[in-house]
Amino acid sequence: MSNKKNQQGNTGALSEVSGSVLVVGGGIAGVQAALDLADSGFYVHLVEKSAAIGGGMSQLDKTFPTNDCSACILSPKLVECGRHLNINLLTLSELVSLEGEPGSFKAVVKQNPRYVDPDKCIACGTCAEKCPKKVVNEFDMGLGKRKAIYLKYPQAVPLKYAIDAEHCIWLNKPGRCGMCEKVCPSKAINFDDKPTEHVLEIGSVIMAPGFKPFDPSKLDYTGYGRLPNVVTSMEFERLLSPSGPCMGHMERPFDGKEPKKIAWLQCVGSRDINRACHGYCSSVCCMYAIKQAVIAREHSESGDLDASIFFMDMRTHGKEFEEYYNRAASEGVKFHRARIHSVLPSGENDNLRVRYAGEDGEIRYEDFDLVVLSVGLEMPQQAIELAAKAGVSLDADKFIVTDPFKPVSTSRNGVFVCGAAAEPKDIPQSVMEASAAALEAGRILAPARWKDTKKKEYPPEKNVYSEPPRIGVFVCSCGINIASVVDVEAVTEYAKTLPGVVLAQNNLFTCSQDTIDQMEETIRREGLNRVVVASCTPRTHEPLFQETLRNAGINKYLFEMANIRDQDSWVHQNEPEAATEKAKDLVRVAVAKVRGDAPLPYNSVKVTKSALVIGAGVAGMTAAVSLADQGFPVTLVERKDDIGGHARKFYRTWQGNPVQDYLASLVDTVKSHENIDLKCGVSVKGVSGSVGNFTTVLTDGTELKHGVSIIAVGAGSFKPDSDSRWNYLYGKNPNVHTLLELDQKFIAEDSSLSGINQTVFIHCVGSRVPERPYCSRVCCTHAIDQALKLKELNPDMDIFMLYRDIRTYGQRERLYQEARAKGIIFIRYDLENLPAVTEEGGNIKVTVKDPIIDAEVELNPDMLVLATAVRPKVDVHDLAKFFKCSIRADGFLMEAHMKLRPVDFATDGIFLAGLCHYPKPMDETIAQAQAAASRASIVLSQDEIPAESITAQVDPRKCTGCAVCTEVCAYNAVSIDEATEKAVVNEAMCKGCGACVAGCRSDAITLKNMGNEQIMAELETIMDNW
Amino acid sequence: MLEQKLEIRKLRTKLKQHMQEAVPDAHIDYCLTCGMCVSGCPASGIEDMDPRKFLRLLVLGQDEKLLETDWIYSCTMCQRCEYACPMKINVGRFVYELRGMRPKDKRPKNLQRSCDLQKESNSTGIPNDDFVWVVGDVLEEVRENEPEWADLQAPIDKKGAEFYLNQNAKEPTVEPEEMVPLWKILHAAGVDWTYSSKWWDGANYCLFSGDPEDWEKTVRNQAETVDALGVRYYINTE
Amino acid sequence: MYYATLEGLRRFNIPHKFEFVSIITLYAKWIREGRIKVDSSWNTEGLKFTVQDPCKLVRQGIGDEVADDLRFVIKQVAGEENFIEVWPNKSNNYCCGGGGGALQAGFSENRRRYGKIKFDQLAATGADVVITPCHNCHTQVLDICSHFGGKWKTTHLWNWLEKALVRDK
Repeated sequence: MSNKKNQQGNTGALSEVSGSVLVVGGGIAGVQAALDLADSGFYVHLVEKSAAIGGGMSQLDKTFPTNDCSACILSPKLVECGRHLNINLLTLSELVSLEGEPGSFKAVVKQNPRYVDPDKCIACGTCAEKCPKKVVNEFDMGLGKRKAIYLKYPQAVPLKYAIDAEHCIWLNKPGRCGMCEKVCPSKAINFDDKPTEHVLEIGSVIMAPGFKPFDPSKLDYTGYGRLPNVVTSMEFERLLSPSGPCMGHMERPFDGKEPKKIAWLQCVGSRDINRACHGYCSSVCCMYAIKQAVIAREHSESGDLDASIFFMDMRTHGKEFEEYYNRAASEGVKFHRARIHSVLPSGENDNLRVRYAGEDGEIRYEDFDLVVLSVGLEMPQQAIELAAKAGVSLDADKFIVTDPFKPVSTSRNGVFVCGAAAEPKDIPQSVMEASAAALEAGRILAPARWKDTKKKEYPPEKNVYSEPPRIGVFVCSCGINIASVVDVEAVTEYAKTLPGVVLAQNNLFTCSQDTIDQMEETIRREGLNRVVVASCTPRTHEPLFQETLRNAGINKYLFEMANIRDQDSWVHQNEPEAATEKAKDLVRVAVAKVRGDAPLPYNSVKVTKSALVIGAGVAGMTAAVSLADQGFPVTLVERKDDIGGHARKFYRTWQGNPVQDYLASLVDTVKSHENIDLKCGVSVKGVSGSVGNFTTVLTDGTELKHGVSIIAVGAGSFKPDSDSRWNYLYGKNPNVHTLLELDQKFIAEDSSLSGINQTVFIHCVGSRVPERPYCSRVCCTHAIDQALKLKELNPDMDIFMLYRDIRTYGQRERLYQEARAKGIIFIRYDLENLPAVTEEGGNIKVTVKDPIIDAEVELNPDMLVLATAVRPKVDVHDLAKFFKCSIRADGFLMEAHMKLRPVDFATDGIFLAGLCHYPKPMDETIAQAQAAASRASIVLSQDEIPAESITAQVDPRKCTGCAVCTEVCAYNAVSIDEATEKAVVNEAMCKGCGACVAGCRSDAITLKNMGNEQIMAELETIMDNW
Repeated sequence: MLEQKLEIRKLRTKLKQHMQEAVPDAHIDYCLTCGMCVSGCPASGIEDMDPRKFLRLLVLGQDEKLLETDWIYSCTMCQRCEYACPMKINVGRFVYELRGMRPKDKRPKNLQRSCDLQKESNSTGIPNDDFVWVVGDVLEEVRENEPEWADLQAPIDKKGAEFYLNQNAKEPTVEPEEMVPLWKILHAAGVDWTYSSKWWDGANYCLFSGDPEDWEKTVRNQAETVDALGVRYYINTE
Repeated sequence: MYYATLEGLRRFNIPHKFEFVSIITLYAKWIREGRIKVDSSWNTEGLKFTVQDPCKLVRQGIGDEVADDLRFVIKQVAGEENFIEVWPNKSNNYCCGGGGGALQAGFSENRRRYGKIKFDQLAATGADVVITPCHNCHTQVLDICSHFGGKWKTTHLWNWLEKALVRDK
């Protein structure tokens, strides 16, 4: 992207405001925040306490609900971070002090010695091989050993060794060992390394110190630390991981045997005010336990691993989580609604026994050969100290205090927070908050955008036209992801025999920093002019390798990938020989293709520096204000005549903040903002163009030019019609309400509420059913908060909540506890046994079975409240079609990647926020809107952005001017030149989709580097071996 | 477990309220019905009851069911449920209250009798003089028959001794020779110790009968006696 | 019972000058200090020992600390290698089922049903001797052992401590 100085903004303040930001914590949240900021014109100092960035996510094997390999999706971000010109990575560092005001802070950072010169270290590993001192490997949660000189993990960024001063023999007794220094081929060892102090001038700070898994050793009844085959979930991640202590073969830590029967015990260290001292829910454990059960079953050699999850409430409240849960259950993972008091030895083989009781109270015994404790998340001691140094307040649970309406702001102005340090949360939520924090950190520094940044210079590109192909092939082992199935050595040897190939080599992780650096070196040294990487998917990794080519002075389109992982080793696990042959075929095809590749121009388009935000609810308004405050003009379009959306119906947030006051001030800001053009009563009629240059036509005929779009059209609510299975008298009896209707009464201060004697709430009305298989996420918390409000109005009111699972995730659990403490009674029901609602003379009767005492309970409420589902809007389909966005089967919009791109669409320049993505409460909606604005700011802060290079080209000799191409082009990129009557392609608008190529009846249009000759060459070479 | 439908117009939870007043930090309402207590309680299932059902009945106001269950004599008030309970609910504490609420004539006879005897002197009801005599007699026998223990001591009411030792009433009553090993150990350790001739019984069945005033009385008797001896340590033998 | 006095003093706020201690704590202290000397060489047959951690002394009383003292004394008395750990144990141990007045309350069938868990737990250790440092536990463990056909010997700790005692001449 172009890094020219932005001409916008208040240049008068430039001298006062810093253009740099400090990000503390190098986990996924810190990394995402750093990337967003660095990509939108700010210089970032990223401080990480350990020797490498990556955080907790780098220790995970797979991630839910997509089952992506965690390291694989994380690695490109880490590498990008490590290579980013505008990110100053400070590892082994900690914040010492923070002084000053927003816009001009002074931070002191202490960097501890690495004792290895990062400029010299080539990560060859000889030092660690020879180092005589074995140390417990904390990255493997203590399950394995590393050396005193170590690499944190194989894909570590920076990929540099470090000496553990606590254990190094030399550093403790100089003169005693020094083996690493003797064997290091690049003389990188420096025993005299000293701590250094960095004084950083910055304008804002983002805290992302992450979490620590709860240590269950103080809970003796879990058996942890006492019985060898009781492990924590984080340890189990390492046991599953290919880079873990048993290379992904899933062994019991004690005897190395493959477990056949595993139990997961939920809520260890969460929702426990007794000895764990953590009243909150850790939010992620239910899902990671299901994921681990599913993955463990895939790992097991026999495939019939017996997996049981013992839980209290199943909390699968996120996008696609409930479906994941249902799928796991139908595939054979067993779910027991029972908590286990103690894990006991079962006698032989160090197996384990549990005694448990289902809701029926019947005692059962079951033996397992491994027990996994689903440990919760807590604030690390170091982060507590960090918060003190940064001067931000902590709550009673020791998490950093935020405000529901400013979800990433801390108690100190100019200091922001993201990730699990503010409350336990999953990766998508952390990534969302990271972008939100980046937005907030950058918003106050907008005048200083591009002030402190550096500009990327590439070496001039070598002219390859005159050269014969000199192809280099890099075959990746991907740890064991590929190498455990495919014979990578054989593939590498085979590649050497292919025409044009002058070099082929095998790498453990081709995407790791050292391999990338070495690849650049190799390209230059060997004079390569084309490159093939046989590894994973171009979807995540192509940009990284293409960048490497550019750095080496080669046009980035002289590159092909062969996907020998996703499309080979992963799908042919049981046929290694055939998989190896297939890998050879794929490499041969890629080589054939790359031989014909030509260098392409790097097109770019000028960016229209304005945004269109669709939907003026809290999400849309927040996004609009976030962009407008940075000086970007925004058109905010609302279909209805009034703005405010769903929020107009809400009484208060779960933290107790009145929504209407907040909403009024937000509406006011929107209406009076000089950079916001509010258009009500209109909607989108058509869209053309692409990122940087959209043209949108509204129903009132207005034509808007804008560079980005944020879709925030909200959602609707399910109305339980009385003919369905939800025969709950809704619309028939005046005392039956939905949650939002009851909120209306609270807002109106309806005095009749305090006279109510008994209220019944029914949860999950319309959610978690086959026709709407998702959890609506917000209703448990909302309903419980309403029940508490009713108790405030009338403490004597009897309140019953009929629920399936209570999902007050994170610190919302506090409300659930408070509700119980106030005598609100919770009765569980199943989908197979719904509560029955009847009416006698206007009086409501609700009958439900209490599973604990196995008795029918008949309730006689004066008011029945239904927690109805959040339902996607039907008319979102049109909008999605205009912007070419995907919609999931459940009707919610589909983001680019569920885990790491939660506010982007697959279509560039379009972002989403709020309920149209998935049901979520106000604080998360605001964070997501800020995140969408952050992502949009990256585009808007550029003067021009890269455009597609693989564009269509017309051979005018063959073109008949029939105009079929103009009909089929979805981007309005093709037109018929009036003078020549031939088709012409507007390269700036062409997305290279190929529709015109397929549509052309005269074979006159081709895509660059995808001409018939090249495709035929690929096809023919596939046939070679057949 | 309930024979008929439980109809709730106005929830009445008298017993629960009583418990909440009697027990600080009762946390009854906090119950998550997670079943951890049931899983860990050896009395689960006895009399068709378990700690979770017990709490549920309290919460739902099924007082009669609770007032009549004999499960309160199978729950040993051992606190293993509370040990792991995420909400730190001590079911045993409520069982204690219920035991106390049961009319004396409906209580298990021998349990109440043990406490009544303890309130008089000791749980087996042997006269204090007999205890003193038995101790002396057994000591005499050891000194005579075992020359290496000729200087063995078993002091009673020795003021200013460093240690006071209590004695479960079972031994002096039915197996007096079982007292000897401990005397020998104390002797070998060179300990200056003493028994008391009253309130010497180390057991305390009034902890189980359910009347706090009885329990308090027995402990107070002991404490006063021990302090009167002027010892520094009160050794409990079990 | 340890807890009856400890909790009684606490709950009823009974004034007292003495310090309330367990004999188990003292055994361990005296052995550590060399105030009493014990020798496990008598155990030539290698009798295996396990222990019943009394609720009133451990979980409700002093906690794991006294359970560790108990194990220390047994190992000193019977030989380090002759102690077999029981599960669950220490503060998390099962009640024997004789506590809480159950032995006097008369519901024998219920009491033994309760005790079956204790029986299985102790039988699983395969120990020859079960040390029961509480009279209630002693009576109950003795009863369930004979009722369910156990083979172990149920005893107090002092008998073995006396056996292992070495006296200075």
